[in-house]
Amino acid sequence: MRLLLIEDEARIVELLTAALSRAGFVVDAVTTSADGRAALALVPYDAAILDLGLPDGDGLAVLAATRSSGNQVPILILTARDAVEDRVSGLDRGADDYLVKPFAVSELIARIKALLRRPGGALGTVLQAGNVAFDTIGRDVKVGEARVVLPRRESATLEQLMRRLGRVVPKTVLAEKLYGIDEELESNAIPVHVHHLRRKLLEAGATVEIHTVRGVGYLLEETRP
Amino acid sequence: MRLFRPRSLQLQLALSLATLYVTATAILVGVLVYQAYSTADALSKEDLNRRARHLANVAVVDGSGEPRVELPEWLASLYSSGTFLFDVRRADGPVIVASNAEVRDLVLRLPVPGDEPAYFRLKHFGSGERDYFGLTARVDSRIGPLRVTIARAADDDVLVRSLLREFVFNVAWLIPLVVAATLAIGILVIRRGLGPLRQASARAATIDPGSISVRLPEENLPSEVQPLVAAVNHALDRLEKGFAVQRQFTANAAHELRTPLAILTAAIEHLGGTDEAVAMLKKDVARMNRLVDQLLRVARLDAVALDVSDTVDLSTVARDVVAYMAPLAVANGRSLAAQGVEVPVLVKGNRHAVEDALRNLVENAITYAPPRSEAVVSVDPTGTVSVVDRGPGVPADDRQHVFDRFWRARDSRGQGSGLGLAIVSEIMKVHHGSVEVSDNPGGGAVFTLAFQRSA
Repeated sequence: MRLLLIEDEARIVELLTAALSRAGFVVDAVTTSADGRAALALVPYDAAILDLGLPDGDGLAVLAATRSSGNQVPILILTARDAVEDRVSGLDRGADDYLVKPFAVSELIARIKALLRRPGGALGTVLQAGNVAFDTIGRDVKVGEARVVLPRRESATLEQLMRRLGRVVPKTVLAEKLYGIDEELESNAIPVHVHHLRRKLLEAGATVEIHTVRGVGYLLEETRP
Repeated sequence: MRLFRPRSLQLQLALSLATLYVTATAILVGVLVYQAYSTADALSKEDLNRRARHLANVAVVDGSGEPRVELPEWLASLYSSGTFLFDVRRADGPVIVASNAEVRDLVLRLPVPGDEPAYFRLKHFGSGERDYFGLTARVDSRIGPLRVTIARAADDDVLVRSLLREFVFNVAWLIPLVVAATLAIGILVIRRGLGPLRQASARAATIDPGSISVRLPEENLPSEVQPLVAAVNHALDRLEKGFAVQRQFTANAAHELRTPLAILTAAIEHLGGTDEAVAMLKKDVARMNRLVDQLLRVARLDAVALDVSDTVDLSTVARDVVAYMAPLAVANGRSLAAQGVEVPVLVKGNRHAVEDALRNLVENAITYAPPRSEAVVSVDPTGTVSVVDRGPGVPADDRQHVFDRFWRARDSRGQGSGLGLAIVSEIMKVHHGSVEVSDNPGGGAVFTLAFQRSA
């Protein structure tokens, strides 16, 4: 996995490069928006990390230029500005995610991995959480080495939860993904699917846990040792 | 010695006016009384003149060649009652008739009149000891030139008395009334004139560091006060600029702290390991991050006028905030739930600010709730949203302080910046809503945000 880091603060570059390398990424770092634009145009990166406050111009300009050239590389924005307008304008111009400084490096790595896991992203087809692997093509679920067979809707539930590992998946989103427009949705259908799924994961010895966020949805987290 | 000078302009004017009116009225009444007396005086002089001429006219020479004064019966009795004194004599001396001997002697003492009658006053005259006003004059008659003297008792000023009585009863009682009415009108006019000033005062009373953009109204002010109000407004302009600089500084300082903090955060993570010291460092830097973040929020709330005119669905906000905060709650071994979020509850406000406020409350609830307990965000159709936890609650004594900036309970666990609830309170103020803390009947605290329903 090759990442481009566009950031002018030397210490941050140093620390991020070290952390990302340890996480298995190859990192190219540039410190100006001109270099960033040039690098993005030349190298097919798997993802880019873009700081908005650059010495030779606004990072948003790099974002706009990259998108207008048709380059759809996933871009995560780093910003010390957290004014709402900044977030919105960043996402409007085609950023895929943003983090506000100061951030935890582990969070940055998780977000990058999530971007790569997206359909069309470099990590592509296999979702991973704890010892659970979900092959989105074969729709195969493995806990450790053992295959777990899940009915269609339970497997779809697991996919949604794994795609948003560590974040809440609203019940409404699950309902949309699990049922067609014409299909009747019983009020306790989703809790029942989650209940079965939870039991099966537990029985298989999965190191993930489905938490209920009453009134809102569900949250998949890796079980803490 | 200093005169008493009231501080109130209104009172000063009223007092001056009252003094003016009372003085003017006193002078007016004095003049009227004087006029009445002098008119009465003129009248009584004329009366005496008429009587003198009459006496001369009725002087005749009878058959025996003796001069006599023939008075009608009724006049004779009046003239002898003591109210009048009279004496008629020939100009060359011999007395024709007189009230009594005292008068006869008196006339001899009076100056001899020329062409004009001579008037005189008598004090305690005669047996009656009465005061008299009279005249002595030369009057021509059929029996030759006469000297007629007639006087009338001065205490018999019936005319003047009745005149004054009439004046007092018919006119004088009106005077205090007119004075009172004039004063009342004067005070009303002053009050009305000072009305805009009172409005300006009321407006000035609302100015505090959060509403420094308020200016005093300069319309309809009395021109004497207008420069003062304008000067105050200019002073406020300068203060506002100063404030803005100050706030911008806070915002900038907080902002500038972020990059070094980001470096510090990353560096500590880079240390890795499960060292207890590293864990402590991580905790410390996390707290610092939070403080800087909250400072920046406060600075922004202070500096930027929040647009709260949008319609916000509390249910959506509650769901989003719960979804956003749930991973943190789970990481801390607590759970989070939303209640009453199935139907939209629309209120007036700013979506991001409402989220901020609610997120702060949820953060607190997660921090203070005991492990494995559930904090609940509950939306009510009346336009309120509450955060209920099972923590220790807020002691009644602390309730008025918890919303102050940098206030923290004595036994607080030290994670908070002391700004979270101040931010909440400020956001609610801008929304013309309220934040209240109460007891959860089952133990714990309930923080309730109340908004204005959207029409």
